[in-house]
Amino acid sequence: MLEIKNLFARVDDKEILKGVSLSVNQGEVHAIMGPNGSGKSTLANVLAGRPDYEVTGGSITLNGAELLDLSPEERAAEGVFLAFQYPVEIPGVTNTYFLRAALNNVRKHRGLPELSMTEFLKHVRGKAELMDMDNSLLTRSVNEGFSGGEKKRNEIFQMAVLEPTLGVLDETDSGLDIDALKTVANGVNALRSPERAFVVVTHYQRLLNYIVPDFVHILMDGRIVRSGGKELALELEARGYGFIEEELAARA
Amino acid sequence: MLETLDLNARPSSLVSNFEAVRDLLRTYGPDSLQEMRERAFKEFNKFGIPTSKDEEFKYISLKVLEEGKFGPAYGATVDRFQLGQTVLGKVDAITVTFLNGEAAIELSSHDALPDGVFVGTLRDGSLVHEETLMRNLGHAATLEGRLGSTNDERFVHLNTAYLGEGAFIYIPSGVDLERPIHVQWLSTEDHGPFVTHPRNLIVLEAGASAKVVESYAGMQGVYFTNAVTEAILGKDAILELTRVQNETSDAVHISTTAVHQAAGSTVTSNNVSFGGKVVRNDVNVWLDGEHTETWLNGVSVGTGNQVIDNHTRIDHAKPNCHSFETYKAVLGDHASGVFNGKIFVYEDAQKTDAKQTNQAMLLSPTAGINTKPQLEIFADDVRCTHGATIGQLREDALFYLRTRGIPDKQAEALLVYAFAAEVLEKISVPEVRDALESQLFSKLDTQSLPQEVR
Repeated sequence: MLEIKNLFARVDDKEILKGVSLSVNQGEVHAIMGPNGSGKSTLANVLAGRPDYEVTGGSITLNGAELLDLSPEERAAEGVFLAFQYPVEIPGVTNTYFLRAALNNVRKHRGLPELSMTEFLKHVRGKAELMDMDNSLLTRSVNEGFSGGEKKRNEIFQMAVLEPTLGVLDETDSGLDIDALKTVANGVNALRSPERAFVVVTHYQRLLNYIVPDFVHILMDGRIVRSGGKELALELEARGYGFIEEELAARA
Repeated sequence: MLETLDLNARPSSLVSNFEAVRDLLRTYGPDSLQEMRERAFKEFNKFGIPTSKDEEFKYISLKVLEEGKFGPAYGATVDRFQLGQTVLGKVDAITVTFLNGEAAIELSSHDALPDGVFVGTLRDGSLVHEETLMRNLGHAATLEGRLGSTNDERFVHLNTAYLGEGAFIYIPSGVDLERPIHVQWLSTEDHGPFVTHPRNLIVLEAGASAKVVESYAGMQGVYFTNAVTEAILGKDAILELTRVQNETSDAVHISTTAVHQAAGSTVTSNNVSFGGKVVRNDVNVWLDGEHTETWLNGVSVGTGNQVIDNHTRIDHAKPNCHSFETYKAVLGDHASGVFNGKIFVYEDAQKTDAKQTNQAMLLSPTAGINTKPQLEIFADDVRCTHGATIGQLREDALFYLRTRGIPDKQAEALLVYAFAAEVLEKISVPEVRDALESQLFSKLDTQSLPQEVR
């Protein structure tokens, strides 16, 4: 479904991704782990089309469509969803207004009729409950004054509403206490389905106790240096990133 | 040369009107009021209509006042249906309506009010509260004896010279009036340009609280509104004063809002400017007691050739007072904006906390803004900050919206809307806020956006 081939990307003049390749099938959850500065967040943002990241080589296809040729909004319409590490506050726009505008754009692209406010509210009700989003969070401005946990819940809530085919989670666990982490993980797990895939970017293994991945990849210095099953995350947890660095050094 | 002399010798209509209406004005209110008028007329005539050579009017041309023939206001007819077509015409509130400067009883409400509360015209108010009224009228709208460079009071004098009909709101001690008050001034020109001088006086005794919406709605034509609003707050009183300017696109609107705060009082001033061709608003706040709180929120949206000039002045005369000011402007086409924000911190006013922000968003290369924060601080233990940005859209917010599937043009429109709507959100009367948000929507070029703001 998602094919990343030999991807190179930089920010300003700094090369960050140096030939990433990754293949994700429908229904799979892939965790991308790595130390700070390894390029994890860059990979997540490049998938979503962030303009300040320059792709200098490689390709990303989603169900055959070349994402690199598409704008962020077109990628969203194709089914890409990025849950931000730092969700943006937008004072002056209510959460429901924003989300309905988003959903209707995505629906239009998929050839579905737009939803009226009433239909929209019906569509989101159950999803809001799932994410423990009370009404005030829906009528307030997007993320404005939300706590860290509320912001992350809002990200997953948006994902539930937009029903993407590929969910990319960028350090969704950072700054969450254990209860918020469970709520977020529950939300993601409820969205797991045979048609949908996830790429979960995380520094720590903690989140992966709740969102159990099918594959774990370790990203270091802009390359995937090792891939394995979920046990790889546990090994990292026990031994730290150091042992991989040592292995790589020994090999060099 | 002779021509120039002739021009100077010919008084503008703003001056020549006075002889015509003097006798009529005399019949409104007590003799002391007539003395006030005569004094103010002399004061106005000392300097006349400001020009761009006057520091406080540097970026706004008022030639139109010099040249336009703004006669005395005349009667007009507006029915409830027409009123309902105006942006705030259907707001459910205790309503006092004026039409072309005259009280319009048939367009006002007749609420039963709590004991001692008065909401009505100055004329009716003077029958029951003459002493209170005369003691407060003109009390806040003056800069006499104030520190630092003073603002210009000419249009206050002009208003006072013609002081006739107006609104009077009196909330006695301890009364919390939950129902909002709406004072609306409608203007419709059907036979020749005219001038009105609306006057509003709001008195809140100790511990009283109220929400007042003051609106100016232009229905058609060319005219000049020269409004003065005074709000006098007793100890611990709380006032939300929302002023909405929706004049016609041919109108000149000049206003002064003067607020006087006693100790412990809180004022929220929301200043919304959407209409008018040439617009000038002055908001002056005098902090005359400790532990006051002042919120000045302003939003201007200018298109076409609109000129919108906002001057604010906060006098921190006593210690431990806090003021927070946010003025925003969205300017497109050839519109231009001005922001001048003065904050004076007097020698005694230790522990003052004053924060001023001015932000503008320019939507076209031919739109512009002149912005000038002006802090004059004479105390040493204070915290005063100011910041001005002339902005582009926030890239991070734009990207965020786009990742959710909102196309870039729509996302841009949404962010411009949000930038201005953030100020409207400070208005706590939901009906007014919603109506203004819808209006903002249609004023900005947002066809690409879905309706139903909330």
